[in-house]
Amino acid sequence: MSDLEAWRAKAATWCEAMVPTFGKAARKGLGVEDDLALGRRYQKAKFDAGFAGINWPTDLGGQGLGHIEKITFEAEEMKHGFPSFYFSISLGMPVPVLMQFGPDREFVKERVLKALQGEEIWCQLFSEPSGGTDLAGLRTRAETDGNGWKINGQKVWTSWAQYSDYGVIVVRTDPTVAKHKGLTYFWVDMKAPGVTVRPIKLAGGDSHVNEVFFDDVKIGDDHRMSPVGGGFAVAIATLMIERYVATDSAGFGPHLGLFIDLAKEVQLNGRPAIEDGRIRQQIARNYAMRAGLDSINVRARRMMEAGMTPGAEGSLNKLVAVRSRQKLSELAIDLQGVGGFAFDEHASPKDDWASSWINAPTGRIAGGSDETLLNTIAERILGLPQDHRPDKGIPFNQIPA
Amino acid sequence: MSILYDEGQQAIATESRRALEARVSKDDLLPLLQTQGEYHQAFWSTAKEQGWTALALPEAHGGLALGLVELGLIAHQAGRTLSGAPFLTSSFGAAKAIELYGTDEQKAHWLPGLASGDTIGAIAFASGADPLPAKPAVTLTGDRLNGVAGAVSGGLFADVAVVFASGPALALVDLTSAGRTAVDSFDNSRCIADLSFADTPAETLATGEAARAAALHILALQAVVTAHEQTGGAEALMEIARDYAVTRKAFGQPIGAFQSIKHRIAELYGLVELARANCIHAASREGAGDFITAAAAARLSATEAYDTAARDCVQIHGGIGVTWEIGLHLHMRRARSLALEQGSSFFWEDVLVDRLAGDEG
Repeated sequence: MSDLEAWRAKAATWCEAMVPTFGKAARKGLGVEDDLALGRRYQKAKFDAGFAGINWPTDLGGQGLGHIEKITFEAEEMKHGFPSFYFSISLGMPVPVLMQFGPDREFVKERVLKALQGEEIWCQLFSEPSGGTDLAGLRTRAETDGNGWKINGQKVWTSWAQYSDYGVIVVRTDPTVAKHKGLTYFWVDMKAPGVTVRPIKLAGGDSHVNEVFFDDVKIGDDHRMSPVGGGFAVAIATLMIERYVATDSAGFGPHLGLFIDLAKEVQLNGRPAIEDGRIRQQIARNYAMRAGLDSINVRARRMMEAGMTPGAEGSLNKLVAVRSRQKLSELAIDLQGVGGFAFDEHASPKDDWASSWINAPTGRIAGGSDETLLNTIAERILGLPQDHRPDKGIPFNQIPA
Repeated sequence: MSILYDEGQQAIATESRRALEARVSKDDLLPLLQTQGEYHQAFWSTAKEQGWTALALPEAHGGLALGLVELGLIAHQAGRTLSGAPFLTSSFGAAKAIELYGTDEQKAHWLPGLASGDTIGAIAFASGADPLPAKPAVTLTGDRLNGVAGAVSGGLFADVAVVFASGPALALVDLTSAGRTAVDSFDNSRCIADLSFADTPAETLATGEAARAAALHILALQAVVTAHEQTGGAEALMEIARDYAVTRKAFGQPIGAFQSIKHRIAELYGLVELARANCIHAASREGAGDFITAAAAARLSATEAYDTAARDCVQIHGGIGVTWEIGLHLHMRRARSLALEQGSSFFWEDVLVDRLAGDEG
């Protein structure tokens, strides 16, 4: 057994042992607050068992292992539906960025340890009402205020902000220069006076994203994590932290096996749906697509094991998988006829077709819409020209609103 | 077998690409379309010289003892350059059938010639729409073959064919005494012929259910080679589309700056990479229990990639894209002929779903 296989086995064993306490069945029927409390205990258990901060430095409470060990653990973890998603943003981007750019090292260490143990949660304050895709077009501003800064404006789509203790934020500090050049990166205390968090209820019924308002929120200059005017580079670094994360060729929706089971159970025109050519075609096409993604991911893992950098094709995961999940979910509802109307707001998108369907659009938009990803592939990978950008090189305050 | 190419394999890809780009041009290919029964001699002599015909055959019979992964790499490059001869796939399929199901005598007789490329092999399984028919049009009685195997790719020049005959049986037939009629096709460089047998002497490779399983296995091996060829063709088209989109201007800017164009090309990238991933995986599963499943997935995604790339690349070019001279129709034609040759998508969808639904081994 290779070291990695031994690691995988160890991870699998631990995850299995956690199922009774933290698995799907244990979480069934819990409200968000109780589920979050369970999540904090799960995160602490992970930390104690040596599965938190797997690829982070040991002097900050991490395990000092590689990215490959991290995604190997996550692939095992993903199988059981543990309450880990409250920490996915926090430990995914803001805390690693804090580790890299946080100016006060003692403060950083304290925060990282608390975040790793589930005691504190961080959010990422990037998107705004006037722009998600156009990150550099943001309008929330910070003005100098004595020795520090004063923030005013609004962020939106901020995941878990209502439960967050801290956040990283990009704001405009100079509107008289071109839009990318007038941004600065800070961390903020989410409990500071002037910060108001308002949850947004999404189509599927849950409210994990928020609007966040800043009214004269005062922060010290020691909160600054980039040079003044140098925030865009740190924002991009935040987004680039992990190109290969634990992936799911089902687009975080139901496994194809569940669709096949359904197609065997239900009848179309008096015959099992699994015998219907339209259904068979969809199964086959979906399988071929998902198998392709799986192979891309396996290849990427093998490359990382061999010390190489995986290719750009890893960028296809979200684009291809979530789109197909959306269509397959529609088809699964169709297959059930009027039986497909039944809807349980708390059902898991991993094993319930209606829940998968109604939540699928979020997956196609969050973290870059299909169209944004296609632009990225076209421009960065294939070398096609950039879109026409009339705001290029123009001072921010002269761009027509 | 690994899903990652090693240095030797990458060298095969580079060398075959170099050899093909030096020897194959679209100007050689265009005339083939207007002449029945011609194939691109330069391609086939390159294949022989470079040892590609010997690549995946056993050393004892003149082969190089490499495998499907290496042959796939070459097929990918052949697909990029629109290799104008169908034999790389069909001779390989025929040789594998003999290697896996033949007697020592049959191997000694046929394999060295197939390995050197001096002997050309064909596979004749299909009857009409069905690539692996329940009732084959050709019958094997004792050691005699009767009937017509319709539209066999490479059949016009093949020396030996492996035939799926009623019984069912898998038969090996020396084509010296078979009748041949060239079939006019939209892709004439495939050298398609109807092969007719009238009490033609044949030898049995397998009978009954074993014959059907053997035929499906051979078809899957060929499908994986073809899928690489299709992926290579799709990749070439994606690059042609990209190159055109950055140079051709309209409304004062390169057409590639329009999202309707750039997204279309980015979507092709997705199709090509999924097909490539499935191809590499399938080739690495030769001999494993899930080989047929992997082959079906490779075949389906490669067919979709090549057909879509052919459609979209022409569309992106506008009027110039449909001219005889620019040659995009060569890819259109090849995409469709390769989509048919090893069984259409309907066939592979059924093969795949039967396996996924647990109705088949």
